[in-house]
Amino acid sequence: MLCFLLLQLLVSCGREQTSTQQKEEILLQDGLGRELHLPKQPKRVLALAASMTEMLFAVCDTATIVARTPNCDFPEGVYKKPVVNNYPVDYEQVLLLRPDLVFTVEGITPLETAERLKELGVLVYYLKFRTVEDIFKGLETIGEIVGREQQAKQLADSLRREVAQIEVRHKEQATTPRVLAIAGYDPIYVYGHSTVITDKLRILGAANAVEESFGAQSREYILKANPDVLLGGKPEEMEKGFFSIYPELRKINAYQQKRMYGPTQDLMGRASPRVVESIRELEGFLYP
Amino acid sequence: MSKTGYVVLALLLMLLVLLLGLLVGSFETDISLLADTFLRYDPDNLTHFSILHLRLPRLVLALVVGASLAFCGYLMQAMVNNGLADPYLLGTASGASLGAVIVFSGFVPITILGFYMPSLFALLGALGSTLLVILLGYRKGQLIPTQLILAGVALSSLAMAFVSLLTFLSDSESKLKSVVFWSMGSFERAGWTTLMYPSLALLLGLLLFAFLQKQLNILLLGADRAQALGVQVAQTRWLILVTVSIITGFAVATSGSIGFVGLIVPHVTRALMGASGKANLWFCAFVGGFFMLLCDLLSRLLYPPVGLPIGIITSFFGVPFFVYLLSRKNYKFSS
Repeated sequence: MLCFLLLQLLVSCGREQTSTQQKEEILLQDGLGRELHLPKQPKRVLALAASMTEMLFAVCDTATIVARTPNCDFPEGVYKKPVVNNYPVDYEQVLLLRPDLVFTVEGITPLETAERLKELGVLVYYLKFRTVEDIFKGLETIGEIVGREQQAKQLADSLRREVAQIEVRHKEQATTPRVLAIAGYDPIYVYGHSTVITDKLRILGAANAVEESFGAQSREYILKANPDVLLGGKPEEMEKGFFSIYPELRKINAYQQKRMYGPTQDLMGRASPRVVESIRELEGFLYP
Repeated sequence: MSKTGYVVLALLLMLLVLLLGLLVGSFETDISLLADTFLRYDPDNLTHFSILHLRLPRLVLALVVGASLAFCGYLMQAMVNNGLADPYLLGTASGASLGAVIVFSGFVPITILGFYMPSLFALLGALGSTLLVILLGYRKGQLIPTQLILAGVALSSLAMAFVSLLTFLSDSESKLKSVVFWSMGSFERAGWTTLMYPSLALLLGLLLFAFLQKQLNILLLGADRAQALGVQVAQTRWLILVTVSIITGFAVATSGSIGFVGLIVPHVTRALMGASGKANLWFCAFVGGFFMLLCDLLSRLLYPPVGLPIGIITSFFGVPFFVYLLSRKNYKFSS
């Protein structure tokens, strides 16, 4: 009679938890609370989101990363990897690459895609990010899953220290600039309150001018929010592509005071280890 | 209720909805603030500015677009003598969608010299598509309604296939959102400058057909009977086609494609006013405008502050009422 000894290793990551069963089988719980039973520690991984590919490159042995999506462009090493389509997911290509685990982010990969991949024998692990700290915990979680806890923790801690230094600089400042970050011009889509950008702004002593969740907003809402700073493009870009469509919004403070900036799209939109770089870029805009 | 009663009731309801529409928005507004805006307008007061430059043009645009679609729906149903016809029968909506999606996909800048290109391309798409359908429906010096309908269906399908292809190939989420929002209709971009062309087109169309209401009612009896009764069928059909193309083109170009209004409001008009009412066209435009105003108000109340895409509301609230009207025993498409 064969006996199996199972030892559960619980890993906490905010609301995310991973538990590992010793020997071969590993039980994981992802950011959406889904349970995944991995037959062994993953040795071949890929991500279905550009931000997650950056996370994998920061933590994993790059030889274990077996693919990139068409949108992945950082770090330079991604270009050496074969491309797998993520929208819609190229199931055959995924099967061909034989990943032990696929990483993705909430909102990027539909749950039905994950279920279809599960039917095909490929498990999908979701992470979700609301704050900068969530990103660092995400790095640690990936480290624990792929067996590189030490490297992941070192990286996360060094990033935490950098963020703490920035935060200290803006802790006692007298004014709190109100910032509107625009994700799309037509219709007007804004980074809402429950996004990482809100936390980045908090670290910088600023505030998100939007109190709603991510989504489309009306011109009147933006007039009422009356932000001091607009993140969505350089003044000439915003004049041409935004204010020419919505001339009524020229009344807001940010336009009157010409405080419009174009953050690097990838830094702004991706929850990745480059979040510190993104905070520094925003700091340059807010406090020139 | 008498026909005059319906008109008075509709007028009162419209005024009420207009007033409510002016009160709903991100800035808290009450009646006294509203009065203040109109009596002592202060351009530096953002609430005053919002009421006068965002809310009011939005309401007027909803009114104009609703009236335009209903009016064109009435004309199209008379022209092809078919209750299933609507202003988009000639491929106008799908042509306009294709035009707008070409811009949203990045082939053309969003603005050129300050002009909003999606609207311009939507107008070109609408007129181009209509022209092609007319060419296909024109045989031996005559417009053949059945051929027009089939050509419209075929060209709409082709245009929508291109729209789907461009949407699928879209490389960014914001482009996708632009396409989706546009295809479901919205009055969010309304401003005083955007109102001029659709309003002028509608007004001219209404004035022109005010003199042709009798011919239209006879046309509803069928082309042969209309011809026998002295209606110049071919000329009237051409006039309808040109009018519908231009008015629908402007309506779709400013607000995206909004379904059902052009189909159901003409039926509502005939159900309330009779199939051969003398002022049916005007009443139809009026009800269309009122219905769209109501839908816009509902959309903003249900999903503040930006409002649900208007096409969703017109279908949700319009279709049950339409089904009720159709189920009434005394309803007839023509007299």
